[in-house]
Amino acid sequence: MRVGLSWDMDRFEEAGAGWQDLLAEVAQAEQMGFHSFWIHEARERAADCPEPATFLTYLSQKTKSGQLRIAGRRVTRALPAHIAEEVSVLDTFSRGRAGLAFAPASRQGVAPAHVHEMIDFVTSSWAVDEMRYRGEHLRFPTHTPDDAPPGASVPEVEGDYRPQWEWGPETPDFLSITPKPYGSHTPVAVEIDDDETLEWAAQQGISPMVGADMPTAEAADRLARYREVADKAGRTRREVEAVLERRIALDGEADERRLGGSPRDILNAIRSLRGSTGISHFVWRRGEATPMDLYRFASEVQVLLQA
Amino acid sequence: MEFWTTSIGVAKMRPMPSALGAGYENFVRDAVQAEALGFDGFGSGEHHFMYDEFMPLPLQAAAAVAAATSRIRLSTNAMLLPLYDPMEAAEMAASLDVLSGGRVSLGLGMGYRPYEFDGLGTSKRTRGARLREAMEVIRLATSQERFSYEGKHYQYENETLIPRPIQQPIDQWFCGGTSLQGARRAGHAGLGYWLANSPFDHTENIVKEYRQAGKEAGFDESQLRVAAFKDVCIGSTIEEAEGLRKMLIESFYDEHILGYGYLVDEDGKNLYNPPQEHPLYQRFIQSLYCGTIEMVVEELKRYEALGMEMVFLPSQQHELIAKEVLPEFK
Repeated sequence: MRVGLSWDMDRFEEAGAGWQDLLAEVAQAEQMGFHSFWIHEARERAADCPEPATFLTYLSQKTKSGQLRIAGRRVTRALPAHIAEEVSVLDTFSRGRAGLAFAPASRQGVAPAHVHEMIDFVTSSWAVDEMRYRGEHLRFPTHTPDDAPPGASVPEVEGDYRPQWEWGPETPDFLSITPKPYGSHTPVAVEIDDDETLEWAAQQGISPMVGADMPTAEAADRLARYREVADKAGRTRREVEAVLERRIALDGEADERRLGGSPRDILNAIRSLRGSTGISHFVWRRGEATPMDLYRFASEVQVLLQA
Repeated sequence: MEFWTTSIGVAKMRPMPSALGAGYENFVRDAVQAEALGFDGFGSGEHHFMYDEFMPLPLQAAAAVAAATSRIRLSTNAMLLPLYDPMEAAEMAASLDVLSGGRVSLGLGMGYRPYEFDGLGTSKRTRGARLREAMEVIRLATSQERFSYEGKHYQYENETLIPRPIQQPIDQWFCGGTSLQGARRAGHAGLGYWLANSPFDHTENIVKEYRQAGKEAGFDESQLRVAAFKDVCIGSTIEEAEGLRKMLIESFYDEHILGYGYLVDEDGKNLYNPPQEHPLYQRFIQSLYCGTIEMVVEELKRYEALGMEMVFLPSQQHELIAKEVLPEFK
């Protein structure tokens, strides 16, 4: 099982010093073997990070091996092509360490289909060169006609190749998002808070993620339900990574959203969740935890998850 | 006068095939070297949907540079602001400003390639007006805890930007090409004006026009800042310098200046693949200054005398420029 870290940004009073503390923690955590670092898109508190790709690209030059994951990405502020591009740029600067997880539609106040289309568009744009996209919520390029096939489509090969510098003022019907991600299979996940998204992601082979704010029992139910739907759709476990994010109280009390107790209690809780839901990536959402907590978790929980 | 520069690492050049991953590493490496050599700023341009994988998000490239450097300013040259939601652009800039300790300078242009607007889903027709409105939105967002803005294209009510940047407001430049019309617009709005490559005489006229417009609009001379892209090719002889320019033209500029509508005629019409004899193309070629070290120093001194706050030098000959040119301006 992979183990990563994310952060409650309200532990920091302001971005300046807070982000430096976070960067220092990442450096320690990478040394201790944590596999991934997740920055959530947010814009409510003073130290929130509204542009995780910018933050993680900075981090790409301060780390060597950790996966760099954009979390809670919203579909409304950034233009669709920008989202595809930002992951490609991060992946190239980090030599294949980028990943992307979308926020659930219900948290964004958009239709689930909007999020599904964005995921379909972004992943298609990485998989093919020239393409167009016709959806209910997005079109690429914008002049794509109503009678274009739904979703992504690619041009027929016809006539002589016309290089880009000979296009003139006309926009072709098909464009290529560039650069492509450095790696061939950039991880893409979506939070499965919404039933419609849970079913769609399971059927499409998109990785599920459950964030730290959902009660653990409900998270386990949803991840198990995802697996059932995926199995019925003929999807295998190897296609996806199921991601569970939890807060942890080392030597503290567990509650409905937080794992707690001794390191062994926490170890057993994670192993139990893995057994019942098939999670393959556990993310510790860090709030007031101390550097010593990080070390104890690394040495007393993380390394024993496989034991 | 400050000297900023760039690297070719953020795109692949046809005559010099290379891997993009290595190019990105070279981009960061060149920034580190430029800082060590004494350059004052380092940046990346922006283009989308390019076969040569040109950098689409220059502020993200600057984030990588920020992590590897400590002093040099981080610029965009130019970021095509009408291709962004203004608050998205402000958030990216503010995030980078926090991470870099307040080193961001936004060079902002309006873009000209039609497919970039069509692909990203914004209007090319309104790009000039949206650029000016978006620059004002960024100024307000980065200088006030809360702001409201009522424009034709953008409206905000009691909005706040998170995170709060270190620079308040963040440094902005209007990258307005080489047209007198662009200079007047920038002057009327009191925006710092960053000219594209052009021969000195034309540059001088544009700067005069810009300052005149700015004064007429009531701005103090100290608010009317000017900067310029200035490609220079240095050789031990003029012939050697011209050989370097020829290589640059054939490997990069011929395609990028002629092929995508960069040149704009008197009527504001973009020219696609005009003949190389076209006066506008010839003026561009003449703007790529060729000379010996002494001649290049003398040419740049004319820019300094014109009151340029910064010149943006090309991606090649960094070590030579640092050793022989920059000391003449200390």
